[in-house]
Amino acid sequence: MAKIKNLKGLMIPITDYPHMPYWATLEEAIVLLNFSYETAHDTILVFDESYKLIGVLDQKKILRNIHPGFSKLSPEKVSDDWEKLISTHKLDKLKKPIKDFITPLNIIVDVKEHALNVAHLMLKHNIDLIAVKESENVVGVVKLHDIFHEIAAFILKF
Amino acid sequence: MRSLLSIFKKIKFKKADISKASHPDSVSFKERYGCFQQLLADNKSILETMADMEEKLSGDYMLDMHYVDTKCNILVEKVQSIIENLNTLSNDKYPGLYDAFEKINSVIENTLIKNIEIPVTDFTIPFEDVTKDMVRSVGGKNANLGEINNRLNLPVPKGFCISAHAFKRFMDYNELVDKINVSAVDTNSMEDLTRVSKAAQNLVLNASVPPDLEKSISDAALELERKAGHKTGGFYTSVRSSAIHEDAQFTFAGQYKTALNIAPKDVVSAYVEIIASLFTSRAIFYCKSKGFHVEDMVMAVGVVEMIDAKASGVVYSRDPMDEDSRGIIINGVWGLGKYAVDGIVKPHSYVISRDISAPILEKKQPVQPFMLICGLEGGAIDVRVPDYIKRMPCISDEQAITLAEYAMVLEKHYGKPQDIEWALDLNDNLLILQSRPLRIIAKKQSKPVPRYLPGHKILINKGQIACKGVGAGKVHFVTNDEELNSFPEGAVLVAKHTSPRFVTAMNKASAIIADVGSPIGHMASIAREYSVPTILNAGIAMKTLKAGQEITVDAINVNIYEGRIEQLLKAEKKDDTFKDTVVFEVLRGVLQSLVPLNLIYPEDEKFSPQYCETFHDITRFAHEKAMNEMFKLGEGAHQKKGGAVKLIVKLPLDIRVIDLGGGVENASDRIKVDNIACIPMKALLKGMMSIEWPGPPPVNVKGLLSVIASTAMQPNPEQSLSEPSFAVISKEYMNFSIRLGYHLQTLEAYAGDSINDNYIRFLFRGGGASHDRRARRTRLIKELLEKIDFRVDRTGDVLDGRVTKYDRTTIEKKLGVMAKLTAFTKQLDMTLFNDSVVDWYVKEFIKKHYVE
Repeated sequence: MAKIKNLKGLMIPITDYPHMPYWATLEEAIVLLNFSYETAHDTILVFDESYKLIGVLDQKKILRNIHPGFSKLSPEKVSDDWEKLISTHKLDKLKKPIKDFITPLNIIVDVKEHALNVAHLMLKHNIDLIAVKESENVVGVVKLHDIFHEIAAFILKF
Repeated sequence: MRSLLSIFKKIKFKKADISKASHPDSVSFKERYGCFQQLLADNKSILETMADMEEKLSGDYMLDMHYVDTKCNILVEKVQSIIENLNTLSNDKYPGLYDAFEKINSVIENTLIKNIEIPVTDFTIPFEDVTKDMVRSVGGKNANLGEINNRLNLPVPKGFCISAHAFKRFMDYNELVDKINVSAVDTNSMEDLTRVSKAAQNLVLNASVPPDLEKSISDAALELERKAGHKTGGFYTSVRSSAIHEDAQFTFAGQYKTALNIAPKDVVSAYVEIIASLFTSRAIFYCKSKGFHVEDMVMAVGVVEMIDAKASGVVYSRDPMDEDSRGIIINGVWGLGKYAVDGIVKPHSYVISRDISAPILEKKQPVQPFMLICGLEGGAIDVRVPDYIKRMPCISDEQAITLAEYAMVLEKHYGKPQDIEWALDLNDNLLILQSRPLRIIAKKQSKPVPRYLPGHKILINKGQIACKGVGAGKVHFVTNDEELNSFPEGAVLVAKHTSPRFVTAMNKASAIIADVGSPIGHMASIAREYSVPTILNAGIAMKTLKAGQEITVDAINVNIYEGRIEQLLKAEKKDDTFKDTVVFEVLRGVLQSLVPLNLIYPEDEKFSPQYCETFHDITRFAHEKAMNEMFKLGEGAHQKKGGAVKLIVKLPLDIRVIDLGGGVENASDRIKVDNIACIPMKALLKGMMSIEWPGPPPVNVKGLLSVIASTAMQPNPEQSLSEPSFAVISKEYMNFSIRLGYHLQTLEAYAGDSINDNYIRFLFRGGGASHDRRARRTRLIKELLEKIDFRVDRTGDVLDGRVTKYDRTTIEKKLGVMAKLTAFTKQLDMTLFNDSVVDWYVKEFIKKHYVE
C-alpha cells in the first residue's frame, strides 16, 4: 500500500516564495504579485523586521481593500469601467502598509508531517496555505493546490 | 643637487625612526586623520607640481636648471611626506615604498647630475665625426654644423671642435673652478658683478693652456689647414664659441666672443680669449640667479676654416612677416656677412618660391658702398665695394635657388623654420655657416588660436584645461572600460569622469573631454604625457555632444566647436623653439621618473610598492591605500568606542559621533543635529530626515498581530538590530559606519574646497534575506549609484562604489541622494523576488528621489 508523502517534497521553499516586510505598501504588494504572476503564486508571505513570519496577503484581500464595498455590490451595479474601480480616492489606499490587510498565519506544521494531515488542517480551518517549519525555522509553505495534486495522483491510480 | 642628496639622507634617517616609533594602537583617530589630511595636501601639491613641470615641457616657456632643481626638491619632500604619513596611518604596512622611493630618487639624481657631467672625449673632434646628439660634448652650434655636414650632406666649412672635455681640462689644470668665486657676488650690484667678471676673465686670460691640450689644438689646426689645401694668401680660421647650455646660448646670443681670420698658430690664444668671454657679468648674474654652479658653465669652441667670402648673408626659410607665404627670403651682401647681420649695409634680397615653377618671386639689389673682407694679416677690414660689382647681384639666380633648396632641406630636417648663415667662397662654392631655429619668425608664426572663431558654432564653452592644444575628431563616448578597447583612431574621447584607465586610448584619441575631473588629477597627467588636448569639468559634454559627431576641441580657449576646423588645428602648431635645449632634455628625463603612471588598476596584483616606477605611482598608490585605511576607521570606532557621543536625532538609527576636530560645534555631553558642522554629515542627515523611513519602530506589531515564533531565516544571529552606528567626523570628512537591519554600510566622504580631494565612498554588504535577494538589492543600489555617477564594483551582496573629484556642493547633493537611498533600501532585499521587481524599485526611487 502506497504511503502518503510527507511535506518535504510538496513544500515550496521560503526563498522561492514572494515575501515582504509588513511595512511595505499595498502598491508594492501589487507590484510583487504582478511580477511573480508567472510563478502562479497568488499570495505574499509577510515578515517582521526580524524575519518572523507574521501573516499572508492574498489577492482577494487586496481587491477587497482597494474597494471595500466592491464585494457587497449587487451584480447589476458592478461597473464595466475600470476607472470606477480604481479612482484617485481609492488609490490612496495603495500607500497604506500591508500590515493592515494581512491574514495571520497561526498554523505551522513540521516538515515531517504527512500531506493528508495537512489537508485535514486546511479543510478544518478553511485555508489554502500552511507554513512549514524544520527545527525552529520556517523553511517553506505548502499549498492546497499541491496537496490536492498529490491526493489526486493517488486516487487516479485506482 | 646637493640639497636633493641631503634630503635623501634625511629620509633614510626618518625611515629608521618611524619603524621604531610606530605602534599599532599608539595612533589615535585624530593623529590618523592628521596624517590623512597631510597626505591629501601633499598629494595635491605633488600633482600640481608635476602638472606645472609638464606644462613647462610644452615648449612655451624658457626654463633654467634652478626651476628643475626647485621642483624636484618639492617633489622629493612631498613624496617622502606621503610615504611617512601612509605608514603612520597604516601602522607601517608599506615599508616597500621606501625602497621604491630610493630607487626612483637615485634615477632622478643621476638624470640631474648628468646635466653637469662632461662626457670624456678627445680634446678636439673633427666636424666629420660630429652629429647633433653631441651637444654636451661640442656645444649646440658645433653639433649643428656636424649634423648638417654628416647627415644632410650640405656643404659647411671644414673645421673641428675643441670639446667640453678640453674646457674641463683647461679649468682643472688651472684650478679655475675654485679660483673663480661667484658665491659671494651681490647680484644686485652691477659694480660687484663687473668686478667678479673682470677677475674671472683675467684669471682665464692669464691661465696656461695645458701642454696636452695645446698640442691637440695645434695639431688639429694644422690638420685642418692640410685638409683645406693651399690657399692664396695663407690659411686662416674663425674661432667661435659653442655653449653647452643652449638656454644660456639663447640668453647670451652674440655676447660670447668670435675671433675671425685667425692663423693656425694663434688658435690656442684665440681659444683662451673665447673661454674668458664665458664669464661676462651677465653670465655670472644668470648663473647665480638661476641656480647654476660655476662648474655648470661650460663652453666648447669651434674652429672652422675662414671663408674668404665673396658674398655672404642669411636665409630665412619662412617669411618673418607672413608664415603662410610660400616665400623663402635670402639676404646677402658682398664680403663677409657681418654687415648683413648687423644691418650696416642694405642687403640684396631675394624671395624664392617654395614651389618649383617660377621660383624667383622678388629680387632687390641696392647699391652696396662698403664691404667687410678678410685682412691679409688676419682680422677683417672695411673696404669700398669695387665699382665693377657694386651694382651687380652678390649671388646669381641659380645660387639663390640652391640656397632656397638648402633652406628647405634644413627646415624639413629640424622640423621648424630656420635662420641660416651662408657664405660664397672665392671659388663660387656656397657654404652653410650656421643654422638655427628662426625664433622671431617662430613667435609670429604661432598665431594665437582665436578666443572665438566667428562663423562656427560653439557647442560648449566651459571647463578647465588639463592639456593645452587643439584636436578634432568624431565624438566617442566612453562609459565603461570595455568601450576603451574599441576606441577608434583619431576620435575624441568624451566621458562623464576622468579615469587613469583612459591611458589605453591615449595614443588614439585626438582630444579628451570629461564632464568631471581635475586638471591635476592622474588622468590629466597622462593626457599631458601623451600631449592629448584635454578639457575637464565641461559639465554638459555627455548631454550636449552626440556620438559620431565631428567636433573641434580648442583646449586653449576652452571652446568645443561643431565640425572640423582646420584653421584652428593649423593655428595651434606650437613654437617649440626651446625644446632642444639641454635644460629641456634634463626636464624631460626627470619627468620620466616622475610622471608616467604605471599603477592604473587598484585591483591588479601589480598595484604594489615594488611596481612603483615613478613618483606618480607612489603618490597614486599612497592616496589609494590611505583612503582604504581611512575607510577602516569606522570599523575601529566600533571596537574602540572611546570618545563617542550620542547624536540626538529623529531617525531610526542610534548614531554615535566621534569628532576629530571641527566636526561638531557648541556641543556638550549630547550632540544635536544643529551642532553638526561636518559638511558631509550635515548633508547626509538633511537627506535622511527628509524621507519617511520604512519599517519599525515605532509600531510594535507584536501587539497587533500574532507572530509565528520561528524566524524564517537566521540572517546573522549575533548581530543586533539595535547596534549603534558610528560616525567619525571632522569639518570636511565623514566616515559613517551604519548598522541598519541586517546589512552594514560604510559611507565615507570628503567635501572640501579642493575638488581633487573630494570623494564619496560607499561600501554595502550583507542583508537578512536569501543570497539571491541580497544580490538583487546590491544590483538595485548599483544602478542607482551609477545614475549619480558612481563607479561601482559589485560581487553578490557586496558593493563598493566611489565617486571622486566633484565640487563641494555636488558632493553634498549626492550625499542627500545617498541618505534617501539608505532609507529606501532598508530591508528591501526581503521583497526583491525577481529582477523585474528590482527594475520597478529602481524606477520608483528615481521617480521619488532622484535629484537631477
